[in-house]
Amino acid sequence: MTDIAATAPAHGHTDHAHDDHDTPGFFVRWFMSTNHKDIGTLYLIFAIVAGIVGGVISGMMRLELAEPGIQYLTGWAQFFDGAAGDVQGKHFWNVMITAHGLIMVFFMVMPAMIGGFGNWFVPLMIGAPDMAFPRMNNVSFWLTFVAFVMLVGSMFVPGGSGLGAGTGWTVYAPLSTSGSAGPAVDMAIFSLHLAGAASILGAINFITTIFNMRAPGMTLHKMPLFVWSVLVTAFLLLLALPVLAAAITMLLTDRNFGTTFYDAAGGGDPVLYQHLFWFFGHPEVYIMILPGFGIVSQIISTFSRKPVFGYLGMAYAMVAIGVVGFIVWAHHMFTVGMSVNLKMYFTAATMVIAVPTGIKIFSWIATMWGGSMSFKTPMVWSLGFIFMFTVGGVTGVVLANGGVDTNLHDTYYVVAHFHYVLSLGAVFSLFAGFYYWFPKMSGRMYNEFLGQLHFWIFFIGVNVLFFPQHFLGQQGMPRRYPDYPEAYAFWHLISSYGYVIMAVGVLIFFVNILWSLVAGKKAADNPWGEGATTLEWTLSSPPPFHQFNELPRIA
Amino acid sequence: MGRLSPKAKTASMASALALAMVGLGFAAVPLYDLFCRVTGFGGTTQRYDPVAAAAEPVILSNTVSVRFDANVSPGLPWKFYPEHPRDTVSIGARDMAIFIAENNSSVPVVGTAGFNVTPTQAGKYFTKIQCFCFTEQRLEPGQQMRMPVLFFVDPKIMDDPDARDVQEITLSYTFHPVDEGKKAS
Amino acid sequence: MKSLKTLVIAAALSLGAAGAAHAQQALVAAPADAPVAATAANPPSAEAPVAAPATTDAAVPAGDATYVPLKPEAGVGQPIDRGVDFQPQVSPVGEQAYWFNHVILLPVITVISLFVLGLLLWVVFRYRAKANPVPSKTTHNTFIEIIWTAIPVLILAVIAVPSIRLLAQQYEPPSKDALTIKVTGYQWYWGYAYPDQGIGEYVSKMLPKDAAEAAGEPYQLAVDNRMVVPVGRQVKLIITGADVIHSFAVPAFWTKMDAVPGRANETTFTANKVGVYYGQCSELCGVDHGFMPIAVEVLPVDKWEAWVRSKGGNPAGPVVAAAAPTPAAATTEAAPAAAPAAAPVATN
Repeated sequence: MTDIAATAPAHGHTDHAHDDHDTPGFFVRWFMSTNHKDIGTLYLIFAIVAGIVGGVISGMMRLELAEPGIQYLTGWAQFFDGAAGDVQGKHFWNVMITAHGLIMVFFMVMPAMIGGFGNWFVPLMIGAPDMAFPRMNNVSFWLTFVAFVMLVGSMFVPGGSGLGAGTGWTVYAPLSTSGSAGPAVDMAIFSLHLAGAASILGAINFITTIFNMRAPGMTLHKMPLFVWSVLVTAFLLLLALPVLAAAITMLLTDRNFGTTFYDAAGGGDPVLYQHLFWFFGHPEVYIMILPGFGIVSQIISTFSRKPVFGYLGMAYAMVAIGVVGFIVWAHHMFTVGMSVNLKMYFTAATMVIAVPTGIKIFSWIATMWGGSMSFKTPMVWSLGFIFMFTVGGVTGVVLANGGVDTNLHDTYYVVAHFHYVLSLGAVFSLFAGFYYWFPKMSGRMYNEFLGQLHFWIFFIGVNVLFFPQHFLGQQGMPRRYPDYPEAYAFWHLISSYGYVIMAVGVLIFFVNILWSLVAGKKAADNPWGEGATTLEWTLSSPPPFHQFNELPRIA
Repeated sequence: MGRLSPKAKTASMASALALAMVGLGFAAVPLYDLFCRVTGFGGTTQRYDPVAAAAEPVILSNTVSVRFDANVSPGLPWKFYPEHPRDTVSIGARDMAIFIAENNSSVPVVGTAGFNVTPTQAGKYFTKIQCFCFTEQRLEPGQQMRMPVLFFVDPKIMDDPDARDVQEITLSYTFHPVDEGKKAS
Repeated sequence: MKSLKTLVIAAALSLGAAGAAHAQQALVAAPADAPVAATAANPPSAEAPVAAPATTDAAVPAGDATYVPLKPEAGVGQPIDRGVDFQPQVSPVGEQAYWFNHVILLPVITVISLFVLGLLLWVVFRYRAKANPVPSKTTHNTFIEIIWTAIPVLILAVIAVPSIRLLAQQYEPPSKDALTIKVTGYQWYWGYAYPDQGIGEYVSKMLPKDAAEAAGEPYQLAVDNRMVVPVGRQVKLIITGADVIHSFAVPAFWTKMDAVPGRANETTFTANKVGVYYGQCSELCGVDHGFMPIAVEVLPVDKWEAWVRSKGGNPAGPVVAAAAPTPAAATTEAAPAAAPAAAPVATN
């Protein structure tokens, strides 16, 4: 990809001239948008809003967990349902963990990574005028939006012991079938159907775009790594989400039409649901992190002023992670009662993933090695990403061991592990990408000082928040508990302090966005200098409404 | 448009792939069932097929303990228990166990039983000749029923390095209510 | 607009589904409290652990044979304030797993993390723009790429060997003489039964706060009726769930197994130290998922026997039919020689 010495025709600015009469009016532009950049923007705004909702929910959870005893739950439940008591309070806890998980996975990380950055920059990076199916792109966004509304709506309808679906984001049967009466779980499942359909449409769109609309000379092996990461992710979506759709459709029929796919009473097996769910669920974690890998690769190369080290190895490591990701799912269900041979297989297969992941980490470091590094905000986030993802990765190696997982399964150690790879991995890469491309998207520079401050406060916050959870897990603290014995109080309190620190960091982020949009310096076409070699930097900031009317040629 | 544009071609191939995966998701139900039957996965037992089993199994001098476990799912007002908690059988020899069910309620109730064996690696060798599983059993109020299970442990178990050390196999039954039970929470 | 049509259909369907579920909920409302009724039939007394039930069985051989519930020991079988490590392990499997984690996994992951951190700090220091104004253009080095593929493979191989060995040890088939306990997970308590001792299922529920404190036990871990096992004897658990999936876990034994409705799971442990060991349900099972703890009391054999008798059971258990049915008579019902002391146990 280094050799994209883009012989960019200077059309960026010429386009600008006849830009205005192409731009539709407000309603048509934002509600019936077919422009990949506008849809990308919509996705980013949507992801930020969903992130706020999911983040507030996690704040409520950390508040409740700050001290032993149940302090707030009943009151919160009463806010939704005046007649709520203790039981509804505890049910509300389960609703929160469910909503937090689903929102962060389906409505924050995925829309931001794929819908947001993918839509914005895949066409720009491959030199395409737009996505292959602009109208389908719009449908994807609004389906996601409706799905989110439906999920939030499910919190206001009966779900068994109280309002909302309290099944956990995994929606395991039979808790989600015979164990949860009321329409809330149906709504939540339907929300997943819609979000899944949206993602499948998006995946088809990306695959078609990347395979058919690359500028002349842009071979697959010259594509920027971010495009590679989105391509691999799109295939994962295409293969994994339909299985989830099938699995949760059977949940719906079990709930409403008397089928017994997951009900032992009729010869079904609740464990089958877990197999199907995790056949989707494990690739899903790579869906959330692979685009992050791509973003970080671009940023490291840009700010080291050096091409990515081992480009092909990097691209195929992602492919390898994607492929192996489909054959390791049962490590999420080590305690379900499986034979020793199966457990040995899933232990070994899971550990194999560490190899391509290691290749990526070392290649990033090798990219910086010999480089000439500058530490702008996106770069700092990327460095933080590499280290935090490593920490989350090595605890994954611990959990991969079926024998060790016996103790750690469903404890806070697992919570710590997946927040290190997601909340400190995927989210760090999202912030990195946001700062990296903010000038391109908005035409204005962000505030460097606030960006750095945001990083350091957030970095300290999330580590204080999540590192002690390893200790809690090793001590035996199970997940999804609204309350706990005295002995766990200390680390829970520290963890809740960490949340507060992190929240301050996020506030700084919002201040930075608002300040920059209003008063930020005008951004140059390429604010990052010679290290930024991908095509988006050959365009104006922000790019014209329609770009590459004349396709660039890649040498 | 006589033939598909390259974009439409890619998109339709991708859609076909997605549809195939949906199909696979649903196909997982019978496939999983088949997989369990073939491998004894999850403690699925074998059914005796007199045609395939041309010769009677050899009876070995080794013995194995078989434990009988009975469960009633909530919502079924039955008592259900094995006549004896366990038995020692020669490998290859037929044995019979009796399970007893009693309807404690004042109305007739229909139930159906599911089962598995533990440890899971023994499932492949636990062969049932006759049992009451997955057939509906109707009990009048206060009625007691003795239900036999006829089984043997396949001598091939001695050739399986994972399973030959198993000293005790547990056969576990769970009775579920039929109809109305499905909707009970 | 085909897509729009899909959207409309989807919305309509969702409304339909919601309506159907509403109707269903009305149906379910009545039986919903059935589990509660079932519980009432087996009332647990909050003071049980405090009051020592007297043994009445006259046939009992002499010995210090009364059962007095053990007091938990601080730091054993339960989490400790500010604790960071695993709970001290008292089973052979737990000891091996603990060793595996502390001697192999923890050092390896710590070294890897520090190595990556060190490399990052070094490149940040050495290759900052000021220190290295002209970047190199190196993008390949086959040798180093082979190295950083091969070394992780070797490290993983080193981890895999003891990992597989640990799994094999966990799955060693339990002995015929293991004490078998039937464990059933309910919303939201546990049921334990000792089929060979003739102890029918009894219910184990979390003690309320004041009762736990009165008994000198940690709240949210203490229960009214513990699972009681003899020290040093292998215990085999047959685990199932009655309603939804639960998970039986005791961290100090390195034991965790899901209780899946309609399916029996089996796991074993051997506790080598007398004491009280706590665990908590480890699979989301509804409202009181956080409030159905597990307490296992490990007693010397004579004390355990006293406990069995206090429960009306026979510590020796039934004598298993000594003679296996003769092959010729295989199809007829073999009458086991000994009848268990207690009547067959009915579950709930």
